[in-house]
Amino acid sequence: MGKYTFKGKAAVSVAAIAALALTGCANVGGGGGGEETGGGDNGGGQEGGVLTIAETNAFTGANPAYTKANLDINGKVATGTREGFIYVNPSQEIQRNEGFGTFEKTSDDPLTVEYTLNDPQWSDGNKIDKADVMLWWATSSGYYDDGDAEAKTGKDYFTIAGSTDILGHTDIPEFSEDGKSFTLTYDEPQADWEIALDQDYLHPAHVVAEEAGMTEDELLTVLEDSPEGDPESPKENADLAKIGKAWDTAFNFTATPENDKLLLSNGPYKIQDIVENSSLTMVKNDQYNGEHEGKLDEITVRFIGDSTAQIQALRNGEVDIMAPVSVNKDTIDQVKEIDSVNVLQGQDLSYDHVDLNFGTETFKDKNVREAFLKTIPRQQIVDQLIKPVTDDASVLNSQMYVSSQGEPYEKATETNEAETLYGEVDIDGAKQLLGGKTPTVRILYNNENPARVDSFQLIKESAEKAGFKVEDLGDPSWSEKLPDGDYEASLFGWVSPGVGTEVLSQIFKTGGGGNYNDYSNADVDKLVDEARSNLDNDSRVDQMVEIDKHTFEDAYGLPLFQNPGFFGVSEDIEGVEYQPNQDGAFWNLWEWSRK
Amino acid sequence: MISYILRRLITAVLILLGASFIVYIMTAASGDPLWDLYGHPNAAQLIPDRIDSLNLDQPPILRYFTWLGGALGCLVPFSDMCSLGVTRDGLEVTQLLLFAMGQTIMLVTAGTILAIVIGITLGIVSALRQYSGLDYGVTFFTFLCFSLPSFWLAVLLKEIVAISFNDFLQDPVMSVGTILAIGVVAGFIWYLVSFGRMKTRILMGVLGFLVTSGIVYFVLATNWLTAPFLGIPLILLTGVLVAVIATILISGLRNKRALYSGLATVLVGLIVYFPVQSFFRGAGLWTVIILCLVMIVIGAAIGYFAGGYDRGQGMRVAGITGFFVALLIILDRFMQSWPDYLDSGRIRGRPIATASASTPGLTGDFWIIGIDRFTHLLLPTIALTLLALASYSRYSRASMLEIMGQDYIRTARAKGLSERTVVMRHAFRNALIPLATLVAYDIGALIGGAIITESVFAFTGMGQLFVTAVRNVDPNPVMGVFLITGIVAMVFNLIADLVYSVLDPRVRVKA
Amino acid sequence: MSQQEPINVKEPVDPAVARAEDVQGKSQGQLVRQRFFGNTGAVISLIVLIFIVLLSVTSIGVGPLPGWWKWDPDATGTLVDSGRPTLSLLPPALGNHPFGQDNLGRDLFAMTMQGTQYSLIVMVVVGVMAGLLGTVIGGLSGYFRGWTEAILMRLTDVIIIIPLVILAALLGRLAISYVRSTGLPTTATVIALGLLIGAASWPPLARLVRGEFLSLREREFVDAARLAGASSGRIIFKHILPNTVGVITVNITLLMSSAILLETALSYLGLGIQAPDWSLGRLISENQTAFATRPWLFWWPGVFIVTIALTINFIGDGLRDAFDPRQRKFNPKKARDGREHRTERGADNRTAR
Repeated sequence: MGKYTFKGKAAVSVAAIAALALTGCANVGGGGGGEETGGGDNGGGQEGGVLTIAETNAFTGANPAYTKANLDINGKVATGTREGFIYVNPSQEIQRNEGFGTFEKTSDDPLTVEYTLNDPQWSDGNKIDKADVMLWWATSSGYYDDGDAEAKTGKDYFTIAGSTDILGHTDIPEFSEDGKSFTLTYDEPQADWEIALDQDYLHPAHVVAEEAGMTEDELLTVLEDSPEGDPESPKENADLAKIGKAWDTAFNFTATPENDKLLLSNGPYKIQDIVENSSLTMVKNDQYNGEHEGKLDEITVRFIGDSTAQIQALRNGEVDIMAPVSVNKDTIDQVKEIDSVNVLQGQDLSYDHVDLNFGTETFKDKNVREAFLKTIPRQQIVDQLIKPVTDDASVLNSQMYVSSQGEPYEKATETNEAETLYGEVDIDGAKQLLGGKTPTVRILYNNENPARVDSFQLIKESAEKAGFKVEDLGDPSWSEKLPDGDYEASLFGWVSPGVGTEVLSQIFKTGGGGNYNDYSNADVDKLVDEARSNLDNDSRVDQMVEIDKHTFEDAYGLPLFQNPGFFGVSEDIEGVEYQPNQDGAFWNLWEWSRK
Repeated sequence: MISYILRRLITAVLILLGASFIVYIMTAASGDPLWDLYGHPNAAQLIPDRIDSLNLDQPPILRYFTWLGGALGCLVPFSDMCSLGVTRDGLEVTQLLLFAMGQTIMLVTAGTILAIVIGITLGIVSALRQYSGLDYGVTFFTFLCFSLPSFWLAVLLKEIVAISFNDFLQDPVMSVGTILAIGVVAGFIWYLVSFGRMKTRILMGVLGFLVTSGIVYFVLATNWLTAPFLGIPLILLTGVLVAVIATILISGLRNKRALYSGLATVLVGLIVYFPVQSFFRGAGLWTVIILCLVMIVIGAAIGYFAGGYDRGQGMRVAGITGFFVALLIILDRFMQSWPDYLDSGRIRGRPIATASASTPGLTGDFWIIGIDRFTHLLLPTIALTLLALASYSRYSRASMLEIMGQDYIRTARAKGLSERTVVMRHAFRNALIPLATLVAYDIGALIGGAIITESVFAFTGMGQLFVTAVRNVDPNPVMGVFLITGIVAMVFNLIADLVYSVLDPRVRVKA
Repeated sequence: MSQQEPINVKEPVDPAVARAEDVQGKSQGQLVRQRFFGNTGAVISLIVLIFIVLLSVTSIGVGPLPGWWKWDPDATGTLVDSGRPTLSLLPPALGNHPFGQDNLGRDLFAMTMQGTQYSLIVMVVVGVMAGLLGTVIGGLSGYFRGWTEAILMRLTDVIIIIPLVILAALLGRLAISYVRSTGLPTTATVIALGLLIGAASWPPLARLVRGEFLSLREREFVDAARLAGASSGRIIFKHILPNTVGVITVNITLLMSSAILLETALSYLGLGIQAPDWSLGRLISENQTAFATRPWLFWWPGVFIVTIALTINFIGDGLRDAFDPRQRKFNPKKARDGREHRTERGADNRTAR
């Protein structure tokens, strides 16, 4: 039965990754294209028409912020049906959406942000007002929660898929007289305050109230009057529980619901029809009064799980846009071969890397670590796995930044000397460092990922030339085994957070939750603490570059490459732009048009 | 009999219980149900939540009984107690199953029926011409189909039948050389599979060449692929052909009355053709069914009034002819809608689809929607038919061969019956008896067995549900699928045994 | 003494005499062999299959034994002409990589041979496993009847209503994850998969064998043996089993051909042999995205699967004809018994579609 119970150790590390990757996610929130590119200035594009896009997963609910509906596809659909104060463009920059509302920081200490709504409304004409905002804030702040997971007391009212780390530091919003603007006050500075309110959490309060069996006013009263939750002395709150249940469950449907109010939208499109496990159709929202009015009349999302089937559907003109799950030479070549399809290429936010486990006998010895890293054929891996997909692929040379981040990445690579240290495979050098020893290296990786399997194969061959004995720990449940530390090296991917410093203490600090390979360096620990409390961007980059340098000096491991990505888009379609985050092509769906 | 069925049912329930326990425990033991959450950005919220909603803190045996409790609730009619649990994403399995069953049944029905009809025909014909070119050809072809990995076949079909055909449709022109080449290949195949003396075979080959090239030329010259039609001439031609074949099979051409009543039915069909067109405008499924029934009745009536020494034969010939003529008229109406379908903004001239059951968002009348179903079901149906062909054809061949060697066949021949009567009356019917059981078993297996076909053609049926659940280590949907396939298999096994005892008087159920 | 001259009689043989020779003075085995080798399709298939087995075994070697082929299935190399096959018919030449290379420059011929070996192992193990289980369970319940039969047959019923793909998928997943975690070599994983597919596919055979035993145990020669004081073991092994060899052989053959397809289906679903090992099924399912761009990666392994399955089907068909006394059209009673058993075979149609 041990297998089915929850393991304490895993829980800790998992929470760590959660926090870590969250920075990446929160940063990559919404839509994009701020500079009013929305107009009809792309020439050929015309109003109206229909479009079909292929997606791997099937739609399961209109509330992607709810844990069980937290699927990429639900979030993608929400980019059409929800908008908030901000969205993120393909360069991962935060863009403000003034059609919805504006916000500004009015004070640094305490951090205070004032938001003003620009008269947004739901697709039934109901205005987005105080009740909607209160519910929005309540769900993402966890203000009323008094649950204690260990003691099993109290209750977390809204089962959200994200963390309450940012808004959890705010007090109840203060509204202006007309209810059009409100102010959030933080009890401690939060670097990520701009992305605090995520539109995935925004749901029509009047519908949630109805589902909870009360009026919108009653809902507002409940939210305004309930005290802050205290896990130390939990109190039951039946009304909140009803609201929470409605928010959790009302929006989960896999086919068109009977109550069409559940399909309310404040974005450019609204859901019209869902065929279970097969397709979802969105039509233009005629009540939309924001800045991102859609051009197409209808967008249909078709759920096709198999990559080959997606490509064949694209070739056959059944879909207009597709983005494959597995990006490799064959998928991209196949799409490139279709005459009537354009390929939009870009770099994914994730990168693969090899980490050496400092906690093992083998790699306690720095010479052995260096020797092993010297054998990793990074150029060959890039040439054989990534180059066939994107010609301009290169080896990734920093643990801190990905190459698409530009300046800080260049700064890091200049400082850490990765190119000189590990630019080329040096079997002789490795042999010298080993001095005749033949250590065994067991490598943990996901053997359901073909690219990892191939990387492993290449690393193994090269390392064995220097005398290492490489053992295959490929496993589909690799992530489960990651915290156990029962391996010499691990090969996996991180999603680059882009901004934020939390990643530093998680991965590189001694005892950090994501520090699976027991890395420990006093200098690095100090630098991490300094960087995390540093609010000045430039000097923080310097500190991070310094940490980067230390990792290479210590033979921490090696980054391999940034993953490539691509969309196949029918040439009849205009306005699609490559976007590496989880919204994919959907991020600017209002700009799509048919020639 | 009743007590036999009761006993069988009780054992069936016990067997189902045992098997469900095995499946549940195996699924639960096959992996870690939380595997996808380790390393998930929101794992801290997601893991406890899933543990809670799927009761993962209990041992699997306990969870099985919870599941069983919910499933037993389904036996109480009109109560809300029925629950097959939820998936790990919190969806009700009962609801998912209903939908998935619909998809699966839609997917496998046409394929199964075609496989049975074509398979048995091929089997019987090759048995009657044992060790001929036709026999070897059929054997090789069916074995080849049987040996194809299903997704391999599916990928090829999509490439050739869908994409290449749609590409061709953009500009449907062929050179004379190509047409002749196709004719030559077809003629050669005709030559190979025909039997008899060398002269006959060569003649067949030439005929095959002429017919094939002629058809290809006709199709291209009349732009038939983009604007197909049957019209009066083709309905007449095909109808007469059907009448003649039906007569040959049922009564023999010597029964002139039967032949004439068949031909008369074709004529009636042609007269009906014009008034019926206006009915078709607002048509639905019922219009179509009623037309078929009316034509069958008309045919039977003509056969009855034609009289003769064997009225029944005439009625059957004319009834069958009437049915086929009705189908032709309906087919003709579908063809009239084909150009509209091709031009629709969602099809854009590429009709044959490679994925899922319908074009999302396509609206139209009964005919357009019907065509859409056809274009989507075409590929999976071909795939399933080809894959299942071998078992039926091999089986019916063996069964037929065995029966043709029986004494009573020799007796029938000896008393001077025509070969048609011997084959159709004495041999064919008896050969079908063991096939009835095969069909029953097969349907049971097929409901759960079209997993691969479903997944390649993006049909989200039961197979798909099952595979996703197995990957996710999610026992409830697995159990749902198992329950349906298990029940269907048991019921059809029972039906198979009962049917067998009805058809073959030598077998008696132990009462 | 002197060598005996072979008598070279080229006179036409009286057909009646020839037929008599056919039957008289020949053991069952000789008869079967003679009929089997008279079946062109089966003989060609057997030759092709033997060729494939030899090719896969000798080319890359087995275990520690090296083969004659220059590449190792795991060895990566430089891509030549983006991995296109170098095999050519005019002029006939193998070239460096006759079947082409994958994206890591591995030799597809070597990989296909590796896959063929594993697929053949799965196939044979399934045949042995299902054959043993099916024969033992079917035989015991058919011979002893009573409680043994009740229990064993209910067990068979339980297993048989679980669709084969479902059962194999679940068992396969269990087996592979378990064996891999013990760190045994690849072959062990492959054998484990075969064992479990075999453990899932015995029930139809068991039903058949039971049917055969049921009818044979009532026959006069069995009664005679029993009266003569033969033990159960002796009756089973000496008298009944030899008479069921035909049915068993034929059905195991068919089981094996569906096993190779089942393995392919499992690979497509991601539930079969796992990376970095290659079975033919995994080769084509991994490479199906390459279908339009690098077709050789999809075609070559596929051709091998189809050929193996096809030859086995033909061999099975040949065996059935060879073992089937009804070919000779005698003893209608036996023919009738036979038919009832054949009906039960309906259930072995549980292929993955």
